[in-house]
Amino acid sequence: MSDTKFQASEAFAMASNDRTDGNATVPPPRSAIHSGDNSVWADASPLLHAACQDLKEGELIHGDNFNLYAAMSALEIMDPKMDSGIACKYYSLEEAIEDGAAPIPISVDKTTDVRCTIDIMDHLLACEATWHKGHSLAQTVYSCLYLLQTERTSSHALLHSYCKVIQETCKEVLSVVSDARTHEEEDLFTMSYGLPLGGNGDEKCLSMLNAVEETVSRQLRACKASSSKKRVSEDIEPLQNNPDLEEGYCKALLCRLRFRKHFYHLLISMRRPQGRGLELGRKHIASCIAEIDSIRKSSMFLRARAQEISGQNRSNTTASGNQPIGFDASINCRLAAPTPPRAIEILSWEKALDYFVKLLQDLDHICSYTLDPSLEAALLFVVNFQKSQPDLVSRAHLQILLVQGGKLYGREPIFSVVIRAAGLPEFTKSHVIQENEFMVQLGQLVINLLKILCTNAAWQRRKLGKMLQDWRVTYVQLELAFEKEFGETSNISDNKHISITIFQQILPWVEEQTYWIAYRFLILGFELELYSVHDYCMVYWYIYAVLTKLAEKKHIRMAMSSGTAKKKTKKKRDYLKDARTDYQIPAAVLFLQSQIYLAEGLSMMLAALRNEHKLVPPQSPFNTEREVFMQQFELLQKACLPDHVSYVTFKESTIHADFSTQVLSDHFKEAHRIAKDVKSSFAHDADMMAEIRRIEQVAEHNNIALNVISRVGALEPSLKISFTFTHHPFFATAIVKRS
Amino acid sequence: MIEGLSPSSDCTAHNRNISHAATSPITVVFSSPVIDCRSTYNIVASSFVDLSRLKQGVQRRHTMETSTKESLELKKVDCDASEIEYVSYGGEHHLPLIMNLVDQELSEPYSIFTYRYFVYLWPQLSFLAFHKGKCVGTVVCKMGDHRNISRGYIAMLVVIKPYRGKGIATELVTRSIKVMMESGCEEVTLESEVTNKGALALYGRLGFIRAKRLFHYYLNGVDAFRLKLRFPRPELHPSLPVMADKYGSSHIPSDLDNSAFEQ
Repeated sequence: MSDTKFQASEAFAMASNDRTDGNATVPPPRSAIHSGDNSVWADASPLLHAACQDLKEGELIHGDNFNLYAAMSALEIMDPKMDSGIACKYYSLEEAIEDGAAPIPISVDKTTDVRCTIDIMDHLLACEATWHKGHSLAQTVYSCLYLLQTERTSSHALLHSYCKVIQETCKEVLSVVSDARTHEEEDLFTMSYGLPLGGNGDEKCLSMLNAVEETVSRQLRACKASSSKKRVSEDIEPLQNNPDLEEGYCKALLCRLRFRKHFYHLLISMRRPQGRGLELGRKHIASCIAEIDSIRKSSMFLRARAQEISGQNRSNTTASGNQPIGFDASINCRLAAPTPPRAIEILSWEKALDYFVKLLQDLDHICSYTLDPSLEAALLFVVNFQKSQPDLVSRAHLQILLVQGGKLYGREPIFSVVIRAAGLPEFTKSHVIQENEFMVQLGQLVINLLKILCTNAAWQRRKLGKMLQDWRVTYVQLELAFEKEFGETSNISDNKHISITIFQQILPWVEEQTYWIAYRFLILGFELELYSVHDYCMVYWYIYAVLTKLAEKKHIRMAMSSGTAKKKTKKKRDYLKDARTDYQIPAAVLFLQSQIYLAEGLSMMLAALRNEHKLVPPQSPFNTEREVFMQQFELLQKACLPDHVSYVTFKESTIHADFSTQVLSDHFKEAHRIAKDVKSSFAHDADMMAEIRRIEQVAEHNNIALNVISRVGALEPSLKISFTFTHHPFFATAIVKRS
Repeated sequence: MIEGLSPSSDCTAHNRNISHAATSPITVVFSSPVIDCRSTYNIVASSFVDLSRLKQGVQRRHTMETSTKESLELKKVDCDASEIEYVSYGGEHHLPLIMNLVDQELSEPYSIFTYRYFVYLWPQLSFLAFHKGKCVGTVVCKMGDHRNISRGYIAMLVVIKPYRGKGIATELVTRSIKVMMESGCEEVTLESEVTNKGALALYGRLGFIRAKRLFHYYLNGVDAFRLKLRFPRPELHPSLPVMADKYGSSHIPSDLDNSAFEQ
C-alpha cells in the first residue's frame, strides 16, 4: 500500500475516534508511518461529518464501473479480523530487528545461545510441517526473522548453515510441487511472492552444513574423551560452557543437523530423472528416520534444561517447551496469501515429527517402486499408494516420477505404453499409426490420467468425472477413423494389415480404460462420503452396470491379445492346450465377476429394504429420486457410460426386489465362490490377495444378514438394519440388530 | 460461505439510492478480500464508503461485545413453532438484525457491503425469523445465471443457539427455495463444512445431494461439500454431443412412464 492510502486509513481512524471520544483531538497512535515525499497528512473529519449529514441510511456513494459485487472484497479498517495492518506487532523487518526481535548472537552466554538455536531449529521444523499441510510459506517457515535476512547470521555458523539448508530445502520442495501443476486446491502452498528463497545452488549450503556437523562431532568426541579421562588429542573449543551439558547438547544438535542433511540429499536423489536416484533415496530415508528417532530422544534432556528457566512462555512447537526467539507470524502479512489475517496454528513439535515420519514412509513407498513398464501396473501402484492418504509433497513426487517429458518414467514413449497395455506385440510400437491425431490425443489422455490419479481424492474425482467424455469422444473418433480407412470390417485376420490389428485391439482397450475411470469415479464417492445411505442402492446398481461393461471389455481385449500371440507362435503351439485355454476366463475377469455379484447383491438388498419400507428415504418437498439419480450420474450419462442405462431401467430392475426368494442370497454366494476360486491365480500378489479376502468377508457377512432378515421377516419392527464399511472401503456390510 | 462466481449483472437496484457528495468522492483502497474460502482473490479498489457505522457512532467491536454476551444464554427457549413469525426482508431496518446475527454466530468477518449485495439485489430471497419481537434466525440468498443455468445460492443461514432444533432453519430455507423455484431457478446450491452434521441432515431432507467435496475449502483446513438441489424439469430429448449422431435415439431414456415411480 502506498503512503497516500495509509494516510486515508489513518484519517478514518482518527475521525471515528473523534466521534466516540468527544471533541478532543486524538494524537496519531504511533509515528511509525511517516509522511512521504509526495504526501502530507490531511484531516478528513469535516468532510466525513458533512457526508454523514448529507446521506441517509442505506444510501451509498460510489464511482463508475464499480458494482456492489466487487464491494464484497472491502475491509473494515481497524477491524482486526479483516485489517491485517492492525494485527501487526512490527511494521517491517527492520523495525523488528531494531527492536531486538532476532538478536545475533542469540545470547552472549554460549549455553543459552545453543539452547535457543535448538529451539529455533525445532520451531522451524514445526513451521515446515505446517506449510506442507497447506498453509502459506510466508506465514510459516518465513515467519522466521533470521531466514528473511540470512546475511545477518553469517557470524553464527550453526544458525547460518541451518537457515541456508532450510531455504534450499523449501525451494526444492516448492519446485517439485510447482512442476507437478496439479495442486489447484492446495494453491496456498506455492505462493512465495517476495520471499528470499535462496538459489545459490545446493553445493554451498551442504558444505557449510557438513563443516558445522564436523565441528560438533569433534566437540562431542572431545567431551566424551575428557569425561572418560582420556587425553584429548585435539585442542577444540567446546560447544558451550557447561561441561555437564556438553554431551547432551552436542547430540541434540547432531541429529538435527544430520536429519536436514539426509532430507536434502533425499530430495535431490528423487529429482534425478527416470528414477535413477530412488535406491539412494531409500538409504537417505532410512537415515532420516533414524535421526528423527534421535531427535525425539533428545527432548527429555532439553525439557529438563528448560524447566530450570522459570517464567518462560510454554510452547509446544519445540522439544524443550520454550518459545523460540526470532519468529513473528505477522511480519509477512503483506506478502501472505490474500486471505484475512488470522493466526495460523503451527503444528506441535510432536505432530511435526509424526508428519515427517509419514512423509518419509510415503516417499519410501515411491522409492521402492520397480518402475514396471506396464501401464496397468503403474495405475495399480498409484491406486495402492493413495490408500495411505499421502499429502501433497509425496503425491507431487510420485507424479513427477511417473510422468516426465510426456513419457512414462521419462523414458517410455506413451504410444508404446498404450501398445503394450492393449496387448499388442512389441514391434507395433514404432508403427506410423502413432502419428494419427486421435492416437496422439489418446496418448495425452493417458498422461493426464496418470497425473490426475496422483492428486487428492476430492479434486481427483471431479477431474475423473470430467475426463469421461474426453475418453468417450476419443473412442468414437478412433472408431470412425478406423471405419473410414478400412470400411466395415470386423473379422479380418490378415496380418499384413497391422494397422487394422492395432485399431482392433486398441479400441476395446480404450473402452475398458474408460469404464475403469467410471468405476473409480463411482467408488471414490464412498471415500469422500458423498453418498447418503439412501443413495447406496442406485450407486451400487450403477457400479454393477459399469463393472459388467468393464469385465466384458477386458475379456475382449485379453482374448484378442492372446489370439494375436497365438498367431505368432502358431507353428509351435500344442493344439490341445489351445482348446483348453480357449474356454478359460482369465483370472482378472473372474475377479471383476465377483465384484459384479457383490454390487448387484447390495443394490438388490437395499432395493428390497426400500420396497419393504425398512429404509425410507426422506420426502423432499422439492424433488424426487429421479432428480437425485440424474444428478449423481450426470457425467456418466452424458458420456453414455454405459449405454441404455437410465433412471427408468434402474427402477425396472429394482422395483420388485424383495426378501422372499433366494435371488438376493445367490448374488452373495456367487461372489464368495468366485472370489475363493480365483485366489490361487493371485497367490503372488499380496495386495490382490488382501482385496479378495475383503470381498469374501463382505459377501459372507451380507449373506448372514440376509438370512436373518429372511428368517425374522423384513417387516418386523424390532429389526434395525444399518450399513458399515469395516470390511471393505466401498462395499458395505449390512448389520442387523434386534432391539 | 460466499461463492465466488464471476460478477453477475450490474446492480441497478441500488442506483436510485445513490447520491454523490458535492466534492469528488473519497477513495479508500482496501488490500485484501474478506472471503473466508478460496473463491476470489482479486484485489479491488473500492470506492464505496458506507457511513452507517459512523452515523450510529458505535464501533464495530463494541457492538460485537454486547451481542456476544446475549448469546451466552445457551439455555433453550421453550416456544411453540406457531410462535415464530417469518418475515421477508423488508428494508434497512432489517439489515442490522441480520448483521448482528451473522456476526455473532460465524467467525468469518463480512463487511457491510457483503450484506448489502445480497439484500439489495435479492430482497425477496432473504427471510428473518422472529420470536416475540426478537430476531432469532435469518437466511440470506441470491440467484443468477451460471453457465446458462438459473441457479439459486444460499449464502448465510443462522439460527441462534437457544432456538435450534425447532425446525426454524428448515422453514427459513424452505421459504427461500420456494421463491427461487417460483422465480424459475433450475437448481439451488451452497457449501457446507463436512463436519456440519446438522446442516447436512437439514439439506439432505430437502433433497440436496453432496455433489462435490472441496479439499481444504475453509482456511482452517476443513473440507466442504458443495450441496446441490435440482428441481424436476420436463425432459424431452436431452441433447448429448456426438453420441446422438452415432448412437441414434436408442439411448434416450423414455420418461413417459415415470409416473409409476414418483412418490
